[in-house]
Amino acid sequence: MKEIKVEHLARVEGHGAISVEIEGKKVTNVKFEVLEGPRLFETITLGKTPLENLSVVPRICAICTLSHKTASIRGLEKCLGVDAPEKAHLMRELMMAGEAIESHALHVYLLALPDLLGYPNAIAMVGKYPEAVIQGLTLKKFGNSVMELCSGRATHGENPTIGGFGKYPTNEQLYAIKDQVDTLIPYAKDVVDILGSMKYPEFYEKETVFACCNPPNNEYGLIADEIILSDGQKFDCEDYKKITNERVVPHSYAKRSLYKGAPFTVGSLARINNLGSRLKGEAGEMYEKYKSPRWKKNPMFNNLAQAIELLYALEKIPELVDRLVELKDPPLAKPTRSSGKGTGAVEAPRGTLYHSYEVKDGRMAKVDIITPTAQNYEDIEKYFRLAAEHMVAEGWKDDEIRFQLEMIARAYDPCISCSAHLVKVVRK
Amino acid sequence: MSPDAQKQTKQLPKVGIYGLTGCAGDQLTIVNCEDQILDIFGAADIRSFLMAMSNNVEGELDVALVEGSVSSQGDKAMLEDIRKRSKILIAIGNCACNGGPQAACAMENNFKERFKQVYGDVKLSIPEPLDAKPLSAYVQVDYMIPGCPIDKWEFLRALGRLVKGDAPQPIRYPVCVECKYNENECLLFKNEICLGPITVGGCDSVCINHNIPCVGCRGPVTEANVAGEVEMLVNMKHPHFPKRVNFDYQDVRNRAMMYGGTTMAELLDKVKLKGAKK
Repeated sequence: MKEIKVEHLARVEGHGAISVEIEGKKVTNVKFEVLEGPRLFETITLGKTPLENLSVVPRICAICTLSHKTASIRGLEKCLGVDAPEKAHLMRELMMAGEAIESHALHVYLLALPDLLGYPNAIAMVGKYPEAVIQGLTLKKFGNSVMELCSGRATHGENPTIGGFGKYPTNEQLYAIKDQVDTLIPYAKDVVDILGSMKYPEFYEKETVFACCNPPNNEYGLIADEIILSDGQKFDCEDYKKITNERVVPHSYAKRSLYKGAPFTVGSLARINNLGSRLKGEAGEMYEKYKSPRWKKNPMFNNLAQAIELLYALEKIPELVDRLVELKDPPLAKPTRSSGKGTGAVEAPRGTLYHSYEVKDGRMAKVDIITPTAQNYEDIEKYFRLAAEHMVAEGWKDDEIRFQLEMIARAYDPCISCSAHLVKVVRK
Repeated sequence: MSPDAQKQTKQLPKVGIYGLTGCAGDQLTIVNCEDQILDIFGAADIRSFLMAMSNNVEGELDVALVEGSVSSQGDKAMLEDIRKRSKILIAIGNCACNGGPQAACAMENNFKERFKQVYGDVKLSIPEPLDAKPLSAYVQVDYMIPGCPIDKWEFLRALGRLVKGDAPQPIRYPVCVECKYNENECLLFKNEICLGPITVGGCDSVCINHNIPCVGCRGPVTEANVAGEVEMLVNMKHPHFPKRVNFDYQDVRNRAMMYGGTTMAELLDKVKLKGAKK
């Protein structure tokens, strides 16, 4: 038996390992192991107040901290009967757009492009691709500045709270954000073109199911109470368990999800596949320019989908700012009850994120959090297996196998902290 | 880096950046230094930074920066290995300094029960996890950069000193100092559990600036008067604020334990309340 292993998956967030076991020319086992220690977040806040829960749970993940914040707020507001004012809802959309820009710019430019252009990291790319690196850093910084303005700081800001925001940004601050967008849109268009003209391997392509939030009014967006699947089914987010069906596997501290017994994908590629036809503006034009049936079969296109969403989020910001500056700063909406149940769903950069709660007498009685990467694991392993079987049969070298599998993993932009490191190939 | 080592070589100091169990927010804060990241890679020989690079070299280091708590056998083994090959080891972020939110139940001693609650009765083929502890529970830690996440400027100041062979300067005052400079109204007088008095400063009192009470995410300040804070919240009758409500001891403890970790657990253990049951 031979084992090819990537012990420490680089350029992802958290600790993962990939292992492929091979007997002769046959792949006998493929595992995506999550070695991040379990943090038991769902038990930490039991018996504590909803506000304490809201402070702690975004610490699950630094990159999608505001997605966790928003999902948590939405779940808790349902529990407590809070009707947040319009300005708060718009601010949540604004900070989610900022987070999408920061997270996608980080992944597309600094983590994925080095793979596609053949470099170990983004800093090594500076010599030949100085513009791409500088533009990526500029976009990332812009996303961070939006997150900082809305939440108080770039990571784990505490300003968004139940019923609204501790403090709203001034109109001057909002206009300052809006004013930067025009110079950034050409950067995002360039990277869509770079990724759109890239050749991706076809040998592991297979159609899969995609799930994402379905915003009302036929709009593209990152926040909704309804989930839509590529098979046409729709679910209320309260019924999230029908989609996620979480289970524990022995080789990982991360839970896994199956929909109708089969793996599915969430994230940018899911949103672009399910809702892409709703995109307007430059993002809509780029969607039409590059859309392909291969998007339903090959996870590598997630990089391109993220680049299109980068453009979408940039175009969304002026629209939100124009509405926000018209509204007065509202006081925090107050809870109308101290007990209740509720689920908040949002589209984190990596996919659908659920926070489901029960509050009894002002204390957390039940906490269930389903992260995007937990939902993607099964599909990541499926594509590992498809790719590994082909590469082993074709007699690829171990290093080449390892590199391909790492690329697939990184295309998913796995956020391992969220669930809980990377590739081993075993030959028997 | 020792002065001798500096004389021997003009090479850049070798730096490794690692993450154990946590949210990677402290490493992300380093990646978030968009205007300085090229300078950082120019001023230090970054040998290992798994979150940002794939060509990592694991050897002798002048400075190791480690984020995250020790929550698995793998974390423990990795930390011990990093310690052996590093001259200076720095804990970055609350999880590494205090254990982080995953150590919020450090006083309860119920890790196994909670593990079962989340994962059920499954038999894992991977090593048994550990209840979260800070780095100092297992190895000698030379300096700490606190925060959830670390503050970008505090990190850059510390790294600037380290690459020149100087020691980082820890912040020894509480959040209240910065809060006063910012002229905020004290939230303790507005019946909020604000942990500013016992929490290490350096965040520019960002939460209170936004009318949100300090949640203590930077961990306890040196010589924190935890007994004073608890006494004030649980028992105090302030003559100027007759409407002040007193809080239940358990609620105050819960709040302090959100980010206080094992450090706060030890401090709370020493608190003896006048007349109140503990």
